[in-house]
Amino acid sequence: MIATVAFGLFILSLIIQIIYLFKKAGGQDGISHWLSLAAGILLLVEIVRRSIAIRFVALTGMFESLIFLACALAFLIFALRHFKSTKGNRVIPFGATIIALTFLALASSPLAPADVKPPVPALQSGWLVLHVSFTFIGEVFFAVGFVSAILQLATKSEEKRQNYDRATYTSIAVGYPIFTAGALVFGAIWAEKAWGVWWSWDPKETWALITWLTYTAYLHFRLVRKSTSRLVPALVIVGFAIAMFTFLGVNFLLKGLHSYA
Amino acid sequence: MKSSFDKIYDALRSVKLAVVLLVLLALFAIAGGIVPQGKPADFYLSRFPGPKSVIILRFGIDHVFSSIPFLLLSSAFVLNLTICTFHRLTGEFSKPRGKRRHGPDILHLGLIVLMFGAVLTARTRTGTTINLRKGESADLPDGAKIVLVDTTYEQYPDGRPKSWESTVEIYGGPSQASSAAAEAQHAVRQFRIRVNAPLRRKGYSIYQQNWHTEKEVVLKDPMGMSLSLDQGARADTKDGFVLFMALAPSEASTGEAGSPTTAVGTADLAVTAAPEEAATRAVFLLEQNGMRTVVKAAPGEKIGAFTFSGYLDQSISGLAIVTDRGYPFVAAGFILVILGVFITYIRKLKGMLA
Ligand code: HEM
Repeated sequence: MIATVAFGLFILSLIIQIIYLFKKAGGQDGISHWLSLAAGILLLVEIVRRSIAIRFVALTGMFESLIFLACALAFLIFALRHFKSTKGNRVIPFGATIIALTFLALASSPLAPADVKPPVPALQSGWLVLHVSFTFIGEVFFAVGFVSAILQLATKSEEKRQNYDRATYTSIAVGYPIFTAGALVFGAIWAEKAWGVWWSWDPKETWALITWLTYTAYLHFRLVRKSTSRLVPALVIVGFAIAMFTFLGVNFLLKGLHSYA
Repeated sequence: MKSSFDKIYDALRSVKLAVVLLVLLALFAIAGGIVPQGKPADFYLSRFPGPKSVIILRFGIDHVFSSIPFLLLSSAFVLNLTICTFHRLTGEFSKPRGKRRHGPDILHLGLIVLMFGAVLTARTRTGTTINLRKGESADLPDGAKIVLVDTTYEQYPDGRPKSWESTVEIYGGPSQASSAAAEAQHAVRQFRIRVNAPLRRKGYSIYQQNWHTEKEVVLKDPMGMSLSLDQGARADTKDGFVLFMALAPSEASTGEAGSPTTAVGTADLAVTAAPEEAATRAVFLLEQNGMRTVVKAAPGEKIGAFTFSGYLDQSISGLAIVTDRGYPFVAAGFILVILGVFITYIRKLKGMLA
């Protein structure tokens, strides 16, 4: 119910943003980011409500993960207006809103049953909570980087391209440390505590590593390539596609230790 | 004019090489992330019919992460990383203090420590699982003994597991106990081991790995005393014995860890009286005066001098005993990596907020 209202707020926000996108002159609208903030707060309420019901941080199933991603992205969309590299940009928040809506649409699909279930023993761990939350927060920054990298590739204006490059890099530069801590370090610490193996090459781990290697390659490639290289932003686009495959594809297409989460 | 040594050195420390190696590592990982790893050859032949399975088996894609090409590539990467790290580190030290940026150095050093730990783990980690019933014991790597004192298993109302926990006692220890720590290990001590809360001992850790139940049969002797037998165990009599062979086919049931089919609370020995179990038959081998017969019996029936009074679910705790000398290095590497990556970007992103 709460998630449906949040979905509605995102739709409204999207409509307003579309109207402003078609206005040639003029800056950003004054409402859509507030709608996004409201959606974020509602989703946070939903997460808290579920957490109280199961007496554990409600972050252990597909539905909850999608709600958390949409929630974190909603707050980030609001914050984009305050960052130097994205301030005044109308297209990046628009792209990010579409991604947030996609998360919520998936959350309402049969792929993600919404029943409230307390966690099985392996999932009852503070490290798991850190692992999942940091990974997802890192990934919402990657989502913004993804939108910005597409725009960086699409634009013909040199000045815009440089601005987008800065926005892409900034998003990855914030997301990468958080993702590194969450996906790799906290994930491995949790695995060691739960199973006694900190790394076992199960498909989810392997794909998380591929995601991380891709962003690591981007950061180093950007150090050595000329700023006009199209390959540099392409790595960010591929990186996000791999991150989403790690999150969704591995669960539905490949099976492993993580197939319950 | 650069010497050829310098040229090789420059190539080995180059970031371009790092990018190429990172992409190659990612490609290998993709192969290993798509094709299930470490299965028997038949699995690939049936799952990937035709030339695909030939390619998988010929090129070692069934065990990418221990294949020679992957190990060579990883070695090249570690070499590149090591040379580059030390080159950058010395460069940084030659700068005035205020201008130094050590974030990437700490991060890269952390990765080297982490990979060293990974190699140690890969080469020296050992893991064995012991299955203990209440009261049973096993030997630990340092010569100490572990006894399972109690197990608890709780379920949610929907039947999913809520917690598994083992209470164990450990006594004995390294034979030449001289230090105070070794003395402490000598004393009998009780510990609780839960999923996500392993017991750390010097040199190894004990994890709650799984939990399951097995049916035991309860027999009453002519004096009315109860005794329970697990599968394969026997009770001796004056003129022979009774041995519990198995549950009658299609009636066997055990609960696998995580999705037990048999509900058990604590592991207290309570004879089960569920109606469907009353009809379940067990197979015994009975020896009387040198004559052996196989007897199928349901609860309530007689087997030689004994009465078969029913079943009880015995919980069995699966504990993994793991030694991993690499993990302390891995953990140190993790700390450095996190420190380094945050220092790097906090410095870079200062001033990002308008
Ligand atoms: C998985 C392995 C690696 C990780 C996770 C990693 C991570 C990083 C990160 C996060 C940065 C900061 C980039 C930025 O400015 O945005 C960096 C910088 C750098 N890395 Fe790596 N790196 C890895 C391997 C390597 C290797 C193999 C080399 C060898 C050439 C290398 C050389 C460098 C250099 C030269 C810098 C620039 C430092 C500066 O700003 O002065 N890295 N690395």
